[in-house]
Amino acid sequence: MNDLQRGSWRSAPVAIFGAAMLIVLFGIAVIMQTDNGYRDARVDFAQSQAQLLAVSVGAAVDFNDPAAAQEAVNPLHVIGSIRTAAVYDRQGHLITGYDRFGETVPAVEQAIASPNPLVIRASAPVEMRGQRIGTAYIQLDRQPLWRRVSRYGTLTALIAAAALIVIGLGFAQRALRNANRELGKRAEALAQANELLEEQVAQRTQAEDQLRQSQKMQALGQLTGGIAHDFNNQLTVIQGAADMLCRKDITDAKRIRFAQAIVQSSTNAASLTSQLLAFARRQPLTPEWLDLNDLISQMDDLLDRTMGERIKVVTDLTAPCRVEVDRAQLQSAILNIASNARDAMPDGGTLTIATKNFAESDGQPRVAIEIADTGEGMDPATIDRIFEPFFTTKGTGQGTGLGLSQVYGFATQSGGDVKVESQPGKGTALTLILPCVEATGETTPRDAAVELAEQPVADILVVEDNEDVGAFAEAMLSELGHRVTRASSGEEALDLVRKQTFDVVLSDVVMPGMGGLKFADAVAVERPTLPVVLATGYSQEIAEAGSGGRTVILKPYRLATLSQALATAMKDARPA
Amino acid sequence: MIGPWRVLARITAATAAMMLGAPATAAPTDTAVKAAFLPRFARYVTWPPAAMPKAGDPFVLCVIGSDPFGAALDDAARSQVVDGQRIVVRRLDSAVGSDSCQIAFIQGSKVQPVGQLIAALGRRPVLTVTDASIGAQRGIVHFAVVGGRVRFFIDQSSAARHGLGISSRLLALAIGVKQ
Repeated sequence: MNDLQRGSWRSAPVAIFGAAMLIVLFGIAVIMQTDNGYRDARVDFAQSQAQLLAVSVGAAVDFNDPAAAQEAVNPLHVIGSIRTAAVYDRQGHLITGYDRFGETVPAVEQAIASPNPLVIRASAPVEMRGQRIGTAYIQLDRQPLWRRVSRYGTLTALIAAAALIVIGLGFAQRALRNANRELGKRAEALAQANELLEEQVAQRTQAEDQLRQSQKMQALGQLTGGIAHDFNNQLTVIQGAADMLCRKDITDAKRIRFAQAIVQSSTNAASLTSQLLAFARRQPLTPEWLDLNDLISQMDDLLDRTMGERIKVVTDLTAPCRVEVDRAQLQSAILNIASNARDAMPDGGTLTIATKNFAESDGQPRVAIEIADTGEGMDPATIDRIFEPFFTTKGTGQGTGLGLSQVYGFATQSGGDVKVESQPGKGTALTLILPCVEATGETTPRDAAVELAEQPVADILVVEDNEDVGAFAEAMLSELGHRVTRASSGEEALDLVRKQTFDVVLSDVVMPGMGGLKFADAVAVERPTLPVVLATGYSQEIAEAGSGGRTVILKPYRLATLSQALATAMKDARPA
Repeated sequence: MIGPWRVLARITAATAAMMLGAPATAAPTDTAVKAAFLPRFARYVTWPPAAMPKAGDPFVLCVIGSDPFGAALDDAARSQVVDGQRIVVRRLDSAVGSDSCQIAFIQGSKVQPVGQLIAALGRRPVLTVTDASIGAQRGIVHFAVVGGRVRFFIDQSSAARHGLGISSRLLALAIGVKQ
């Protein structure tokens, strides 16, 4: 509602009250006009009656005959509106008269001629043959105001009704205007409240974003700190051992011990990155068909050794189920859970590993591997965080904080899930849920130990953008007696493949420009019989799309692994 | 306002009742009333045109015989006007000289009693007035005191014989009217 409308609303009652006043004034004017007309008519009437009386009473006045005068006056009795009739002689003395209400008629003319607001008076001279001989008076009652007004009752009522209607309209208008204003205020208040609410929601969203960001930063800090700590430990050993190996007067026995220390630390570091990748679900998995119960049974010795003498290991393997998972990762997951259970039972207890069929609503058959301990249990706050990388309740140096992260990453990457049930003092049960597969075909037998077999000398093309890794690979392969050619990019390598003949190609996957997969595809076009072995520390492409049937070895690789992979690739490529 | 007015009205009414409308301080005598009446008859009588006074001349009221009224009659006559004309009083001993009279109060005398005078006036257009206190002989108008008040009889047939018209208003005041 703008100001102009508001203004017209405001002035409306004034106009209405003005109209009511006009109606009332008009009514009063009409009544007064009518009343004046009526009074004039009454004055005329009184005047004519006085004249009639004057004429009829003439002789009686002349001869001072009250009886005769009375006879002239008597007919006036029938006219109800005449209050007084009186006849005076020339000297002003009363000859005759009468008063309707029995009042005494004034004896002298002066008395009746004096002003009296209560009556309408008319007089007429009594004349005979040109001589005035007396005066006749007629008086009518002037009705009181209320009686006169009441005569105009209908008109008065109509005027009052009209004025009341107009005033009523005015009040209704005013009430409506007030209601309107109130409504406007409420709408405004509502809009304000809504605005406030939206602002609060925005603030809350912002606060949540900030909280999430800060949690992310906290997790990232924990992660990077943990990685740095664990890696530094391993690097300390490697550096120290390498320094010792550089000394000239070192004995053979010490040299072997330091070399083994370096290998051990590298293995530890590799395990660390492997678990990190598992948590990130970017571990290059090599799934195989496994009989779950067989796999767990085969782990008996390992579990017994891991748990120690004070903890009894019980297995209840009832669900016959095959799964398609990475064997090493599954074993690692079970061991990680078991080692946590061991740490939760410092005074001994029982570890129960059970497999159960686990049906979910979508009908997909699943198997549950429940690993329960009788240990300390966890509070809800701890349960919430156990899958976070580097979160640990163990003392410094006792746990990496990556165990359950690996379990979580492996389970979800394999299409399964992990559930936790725990209460302080009542033990903990972790359940690994994995999808079952159709029980057809043979399960993949466990790989036989790879021995460093005598290899025929081969021409090998090593494609590696990292100079150190490239040089290391060249050194190892040369040590085995192979002839090695190096290329630092996919493009350079492809050029070499076109010009020269190789028995096998070892290529890194992640390289600037042409990557290993593209390079391998190009080689397959140029030299269909030339086998390509891919090496990677982590490749999103391979994790997502696979290697296209090519052999993939994981960095960091051991000499034996590399040798075996190359030999296999060459053997498979050779025509039967 | 009405209170004192009423008191005043009652006092004046009581006074008026005693005075009987007479202007004098004392109650007027019958003779004075008769003197007051005589000039007034002129207003209720119509004379033949020939008998009317000429323009500018007064009405003539004659008293024939002895005069019972004296100055009271002259005063009464002076105060009356008929159609703008004065009224004068003439006193006659006999019917002689009564030609000019429009109204004649016939008192009579030892020389000429009332009856003779009436006869003498014959059918002339003169309003003859007699008084019961003098005798039974009646003119057109005949005074009589009835109920303590001066009243009169009217002989309309006699008036007709005299060629006079009597106003019905006057007839209405009469005690009796002879047709």
